[in-house]
Amino acid sequence: MLKSVYNWIDERLDITPMWRDVADHEVPEHVNPAHHFSAFVYCFGGLTFFITVIQILSGMFLTMYYVDDIVNAYKSVDYLQHQVAFGVIVRGMHHWGASLVIVMMFLHTLRVFFTGSYKAPREMNWVVGMSIFFVMLGLGFTGYLLPWDNKAYFATQVGIQIAASVPYLGQYIETFLQGGEIVGAQTLTRFFALHVFFLPGALLALLGGHFFMIRKQGISGPL
Amino acid sequence: MQDHNKEQQSHGKPNKRREMTRRQFLSYTLGGTGGFMMSLPLIANLRFAVDPLLQPKAESDWVKVIDVEKITDTPTAVNFEKNVVDGWYESDKGFGAWISKDASGDVFALSPICKHLGCTVEWEKNVNYPNEYFCPCHAARYTKDGKNLAVAPAPLDEYDVKIENGSVYLSQIKPNTRVE
Amino acid sequence: MAHDHNSKEKVVYVGDSRVKKYKKNNVPLDYSAYPGNSEAFIPNFLLKEWMVGSVFLVGFMILTMSHPSPLGYPADPTKTDFVPIPDWYFLFMYQLLKYPYTSDAYVVLGTLVLPGILFGALMLAPFLDTGKERRWYKRPIASSLMFLSLFATIFLTMVSWQGYQHELEELNIIPEHLERAEKIAAGLEEPGGKEAEPIAIVNKESEGYEIYQKASCVSCHAVDLNGVSSMPSLLGIGDKHSKEEITDIIYNGFGSGMTGQAQANLDAGLTEADLDTLAGWLAEQKAPAGEEAPEEATESH
Repeated sequence: MLKSVYNWIDERLDITPMWRDVADHEVPEHVNPAHHFSAFVYCFGGLTFFITVIQILSGMFLTMYYVDDIVNAYKSVDYLQHQVAFGVIVRGMHHWGASLVIVMMFLHTLRVFFTGSYKAPREMNWVVGMSIFFVMLGLGFTGYLLPWDNKAYFATQVGIQIAASVPYLGQYIETFLQGGEIVGAQTLTRFFALHVFFLPGALLALLGGHFFMIRKQGISGPL
Repeated sequence: MQDHNKEQQSHGKPNKRREMTRRQFLSYTLGGTGGFMMSLPLIANLRFAVDPLLQPKAESDWVKVIDVEKITDTPTAVNFEKNVVDGWYESDKGFGAWISKDASGDVFALSPICKHLGCTVEWEKNVNYPNEYFCPCHAARYTKDGKNLAVAPAPLDEYDVKIENGSVYLSQIKPNTRVE
Repeated sequence: MAHDHNSKEKVVYVGDSRVKKYKKNNVPLDYSAYPGNSEAFIPNFLLKEWMVGSVFLVGFMILTMSHPSPLGYPADPTKTDFVPIPDWYFLFMYQLLKYPYTSDAYVVLGTLVLPGILFGALMLAPFLDTGKERRWYKRPIASSLMFLSLFATIFLTMVSWQGYQHELEELNIIPEHLERAEKIAAGLEEPGGKEAEPIAIVNKESEGYEIYQKASCVSCHAVDLNGVSSMPSLLGIGDKHSKEEITDIIYNGFGSGMTGQAQANLDAGLTEADLDTLAGWLAEQKAPAGEEAPEEATESH
């Protein structure tokens, strides 16, 4: 049944070469923990992606309750955490996942660095990977404000002041991030837009590039 | 093939005008059209996004905060509300100020926003630094006049102060005028 | 394709699309064509990865369920005794700004130049470390710089966190999300985003309400029983005190803030029977079933 569905699609779209490329490529021995236990360090990238998927999923579901308005943002977060069934888990996944994704990404970066895997011909993939790191930090920073409690408010205040200390351009960056003269209603909507549309859009594009390059170049050889 | 090349050379040399091929012309036109199709929506969106940068700064009203007689040499914290329009959200936003008298008896008010990274300073918050404003974030310190002693790059901002009928009124925040 | 020798052969397409109909024999080599202990990505290797992923997920869900995510009190820009703290992965940057050459007049060094150099170098690592050697111990400069930055990052993060804890202790502040979680656990606060519904006055038609309006009560507790400015509300007072207790309060006062009011009201023309009716009516002031009286009413004034 499944086979005939596959054949039906394949006849029309010729997906076998693509599928072969994704699924049937060989995975070398030196990254396989079944052969060398120390190869578990090669799992960090995959785990980062796994949490990223969890983040995207839980984030999409959180927006079913969350509103990005300073009067109601806190109330909606409080409501979804305490009144909605499994709210603790969904918000918890998003909250702890945000930290964990940084941890895993950090470990993945260290693995790539210390195995020298960023060397030619994989320079571009390292640059793309570092860009993903920065986008993730941006997601962490913008997401921190959204519950609109005191911790969020004051940490964002400090973060924006750091950006504002840039010579000459600082005050423009500050106004742009705040969407006005104070951290207020327009800051929250801005950060929400960045957190939910702009940065995830950039993240998906970069991840696409990251994976494409891995498939094209293959994993770096054994040391 | 050879004939074709010769023909082109002999044709090209006498008049040096570089003629645009049909393909080049179409490529440029395509680029232009693509640029037009991208830029028009982008311009609208970007102008939309940077609008706060181009808004004029709002003038601020005078707000009565405290009676003059309550002010001493020791800075007093006052909280007051000022009507603030934040986009579509108009509210009475709370502000803070530290008000005190200087040696000559003049009343002045300092903004509690630390000039280092925007945390909130408090008078004698840290027991190790009496007679100073202290910021808990990075241990920035200021004198009573708001002069920066440590960490912060500038003195505390000052409020415009007005005294009427025995009450102190505050309005706009301006750079500190009390310290050089 | 049209140019090779079989050009006369008719190309068969699937329907009118451009996908050719052909015997699938030019697909890429599969894993079995490679030597050594390599194995197929799907299903062999991916299964192993997903097993690691499952173990990871179990740990993650345990963390999630055992530690509800923190939420303090709504943002209040006028708050002065709040010690701001960024998310933990920004702490090293935050701490970096506390040192003499990264603050004061040099704050740009701390906020822009130093992080710019560090992250710029990290970003461009493959173009700075261009040698052929991949083993970390054969790249002493790159590796030692990385170890140094790692150490510095961990050190700064720890110092920053300890400084934060120390400060909380010194100022005797409990982080809001902990304070709130404790209150919720102790039942002192009801989470969930619903505003506390104001308790309505019970039995407005009663004679007691008329007496209340005439009595001296209104000057502090207000006509609507909600309390003038910071005076305690009498709404739901019946949940806290019985009629006898209320009578006692009317005659003898309550706490330090209220003196006995009975004599003043008797002088003003009310009778003891009126006060009795009033106390009875106040004792009727109960919140609807299932709701607690507001916090204020329990405090002594």
